[in-house]
Amino acid sequence: MIVLEEVTKEFPGAERPAVGGLSMEIPTGEIVMLVGPSGCGKTTTLRMINRLTEPTSGAILLDGVDVTKQDPVEVRRGIGYVIQRVGLFPHRTIAQNIATVPDLLGWDDSKVTDRVQELTGLVELDPEMLDRYPHELSGGQRQRVGVARALAADPPVLLMDEPFGAVDPIVRGRLQDELRALQERLHKTIVFVTHDIDEAIRLGDRVAVLNVGGVLEQYCPPEELLAAPANAFVEDFLGGERGLKRLSLRTVGELELETVTTAQVGSSGAAAKERMRAQGLDWITVVDDDRLVGWLEAGDIGDRVPDEARRFAAHTTVDTSLRQALDSVISSRTGVAVVVDGEERLVGMIAADQLAEQLTR
Amino acid sequence: MRTRVFAAPDDLVNWEWVGRNLDTIAERTWQHVYLTVIAVAVGFVVAFALSLWILSNPRVGKPVTQLSAIAYTIPSLAIFALLVPVTGLSTLTAEIGLVMYTLLVLVRNTVAGLEGVPDEVLDAGAGMGYEDRRLLWRVRLPLAMPVIIAGIRIATVSTVGLVTITAVIGQGGLGWFILRGLNTVANRSTFVLVGVVLSVLLAVVFDLGIQRFGRYFTPWARKVA
Amino acid sequence: MDGLLELWTYLSDVTHWSGPSGIPTRTIQHVWMTTLALGTGVVVAVPLGMWIGHRRRGSLLAVNIVNIGRAIPAFGILALVFIATERIGFLPSYITLVILSLVPLFVNTVTGIEEVDPDVVDAARGMGLSERQVLWRVELPLGMPLILTGFRLAFVDVVATATLAALVAWGGLGRFIIDGFAQLDQGQMLTGALFVALVAVVGDRLVLWAEAAASTGPRGN
Ligand SMILES: Nc1ncnc2c1ncn2[C@@H]1O[C@H](COP(=O)(O)OP(=O)(O)O)[C@@H](O)[C@H]1O
Ligand SMILES: [Mg+2]
Repeated sequence: MIVLEEVTKEFPGAERPAVGGLSMEIPTGEIVMLVGPSGCGKTTTLRMINRLTEPTSGAILLDGVDVTKQDPVEVRRGIGYVIQRVGLFPHRTIAQNIATVPDLLGWDDSKVTDRVQELTGLVELDPEMLDRYPHELSGGQRQRVGVARALAADPPVLLMDEPFGAVDPIVRGRLQDELRALQERLHKTIVFVTHDIDEAIRLGDRVAVLNVGGVLEQYCPPEELLAAPANAFVEDFLGGERGLKRLSLRTVGELELETVTTAQVGSSGAAAKERMRAQGLDWITVVDDDRLVGWLEAGDIGDRVPDEARRFAAHTTVDTSLRQALDSVISSRTGVAVVVDGEERLVGMIAADQLAEQLTR
Repeated sequence: MRTRVFAAPDDLVNWEWVGRNLDTIAERTWQHVYLTVIAVAVGFVVAFALSLWILSNPRVGKPVTQLSAIAYTIPSLAIFALLVPVTGLSTLTAEIGLVMYTLLVLVRNTVAGLEGVPDEVLDAGAGMGYEDRRLLWRVRLPLAMPVIIAGIRIATVSTVGLVTITAVIGQGGLGWFILRGLNTVANRSTFVLVGVVLSVLLAVVFDLGIQRFGRYFTPWARKVA
Repeated sequence: MDGLLELWTYLSDVTHWSGPSGIPTRTIQHVWMTTLALGTGVVVAVPLGMWIGHRRRGSLLAVNIVNIGRAIPAFGILALVFIATERIGFLPSYITLVILSLVPLFVNTVTGIEEVDPDVVDAARGMGLSERQVLWRVELPLGMPLILTGFRLAFVDVVATATLAALVAWGGLGRFIIDGFAQLDQGQMLTGALFVALVAVVGDRLVLWAEAAASTGPRGN
C-alpha cells in the first residue's frame, strides 16, 4: 500500500504549490488512475513517490516505510517507472534496455537473459526486436519495451506517466487491453497518470480526479465516479455520455438474460412456425444442439428447419461490454442481441429496455 | 606582360630532390603528427574537464565559451608571438597555442553533446535508480559521443592546418617545407607542394580515421530514425 | 617580464608611430586589406550562394566544400597562390584572403537559404510571390543570421591570415611579428601581436554587434 499524507510540493518561484496537502491511499494490487487537467500536479505527485521530485512537506509511505527518509536510488530500483516518451537508452539494444535494473541490481547473466526472454513474451514483443536499437522500433513497440523494462526486476509498484499518450488510438487501445490482462496475472500496485478520462475509466480500479494544485476532488471506483460525481468540476471533467461510459464498465454476463425462442436444425418447420405465431415473433433463432447458428424468418422455413441461417450482425458474448451490446441492439434488425458464451453456446438475449434499466438503477 | 621569374610548370615538382630527401620528409611528417596528436589530446582533456564543470555549474558556461571564442579570434601568429617571451621558440609554445585553438570547438561540442541527451532518457535512467555519476558515464557520455567525435574531427583537421604556421617559430612539421618554399628560389614549388599536399593528406587521413573510430564505438548511431 | 619591457620600449619610441612602416600605417593596411578581401568575398560568394541555395541543390556541395576547405591550411593556400602568381606583396596576399573568405561565406549562404522552413517558402509562393521575390523577401532575410555567422567566420580567418602575408613580403601588422622574429626583436614582435589581436577582437565584436542588430530587426515585427 502507498500512503500519501499531506504531501505538498512548492516549486521555487511558483505562486502556489503544484501539489498542496494531498492525502490518499493506494491499495496494494490495484490500478489507481490519477486524472485531471494539464498542469494539475499529476506528474509531480507521481514523481514524488519515486523521489525524482522531493516533496516540500508531508510523508509518503510505501508499505509503512517513509520513502522520503530512504536512499532515493534504492527506492527507485524497487519501483517500476514508465513515461510517455519512454526514454529508452538509444545506445543500448532492446535486450540491454530491458535488463537495465537487473544489471544495476547485479543479477547474474543467465538469470538476466532468462528474465528478458520471459518479459518479451509477457509484453508480446517480437523476440527479433531484442538485438535492435530503440530507433528501429515503432512507437507502440517502444512502449512495450518501456513496460518490460519497468517490470524487469519484478517491482511490486509501477508508476506510469501517460505511458500511452504518444501512440495512435488503435495501438493505445490494444496496449490498454494488454495492460489490463497483464495486471490480472501480476497484481502490481500501479499508479497511472493520464489526462484522458476514458482511459482512466477503462483501466482503473479506482480513479482519483485532481484539480489544479493537486486538489483531490473525488477518489473512488470508476462506476461510482460516473454514477455520482462529487461536484461540478468532476461532472464537467467526466464530460458527456456518462450513461454510455457507465455501460462500458459492465459486461453482458453481469445481467440476467432473457430466454430465447429457438428452433433446432432439422426439426419440424411447421412446429417452429407455430411457436413464432404463438409468441408474435416474425423471426426465430436457430440452434444446432446448444450452438448458435443464426436466425430465420417464417418464409425461410420449409418442412424442416434448415442448417443454413442468416447470421446475426453483431457477435455478442458474456464478456462484451454493455455499451457495445447496446450498440448491437440498436443497430440490429431483430431489436435484441443474442448472447453466446466462450464456446459459441447460446445463453440468452438482451433487449434495449434491459440496458436502460441498468442505467437508472 | 608576365615575366617568368620562377620555375616553369614542367618542373613543378623536382622528384629527384624528393627522392633524396625522403628521410627529411618522413621526419617532418612525423613531427606534424605528434604536434597535432598532442595538441588535440591535451585540448580534449582540458575541454572535457571544462565541459563537466559547465555541466555541473551552468553559470560558468557562458564565460568559458566566450573566453575560448575570444582566444579563437586572435590570429595564431599573434598567439605564438605573445608566448615566445615566456616559453621561447619551443614545442611548448606551439602546443599551448594549438591547444587554445582546439578548446572552442571541443568545449562547444562536448557541452552540446552532453546537454543534448533527451530529458526523458535521463528521467527514465534516474527513475530506474541510476546515480548521477552512472548517468553521466553510462548514459550521457555514450550518447554525446557522435557530437564529441564530430568536434574532435573538426579540431584535428584545423590543428593539422595550424601546425604548418608553427614553422615560423621553428616547429611546423610539414609547414617547414612551405616556409622554405617561400624563402628560397631553388626547388621553390617542390617545397611548397610537398608541404601542402602532405598536410592535406594528413588532415584527410586523420579525419577519416577518427570517423571510423567513432562509428566503431557508436554502432547504435549508424542508422538514425 | 623582459618582454613587457621591450614592448614598452618599442611602443614609446615615437619613430615607430609614423612613416610607411609605423604602427598606424600598418594597422590601416591590415584593416584595409581585410575589408577589401571580405568585400570581394561577399560580392562573389553571397549571390552565388543565394542562387544555389534557392534551387536547394547545394547542401552536398556545401558539405564537401567545408571539408576540403578545412583540410587545406591557410598558410598552404598562401604559398600555392604565391607559386601560381609568381608574385610577391599585395596580389598573392589579396587573392589568398579572398579565397579564404569564399568558403564560409558561400557555405553559410547556401545553408542559410536552404534551411529556411519549406512551409514558409511554400506559403510565399502560394500567395503569388515571384521566385525573385521569394528569394529576396523571404529566403534572404530568414537566412541572414547564418549568412552573418559565415561573415564572422570569414573575418576571423582573413584577419589571421593577413598576418601571414608578411611572409610573401606584404605589409600589415604581420610584418612586425615576422620581422621581430627575424631580428630577435621582442618589442617589435609583441607590438605586432598585440595590435593584430586588438584588430581581430575588436573587429569580431563589431561584426557580432552588427549581427545582433540585424537579427533583431526582421524578427522584431
Ligand atoms: N520542475 C518544475 N519546476 C517548476 N515548476 C514545475 C516543475 N514541474 C512542474 N511544475 C509546475 O507544477 C505544476 C504541475 O505540473 P505537473 O505535475 O507536470 O502537471 P501535470 O502532470 O498534471 O500536467 C505546473 O504548474 C507546472 O508548471
Ligand atoms: Mg504530466
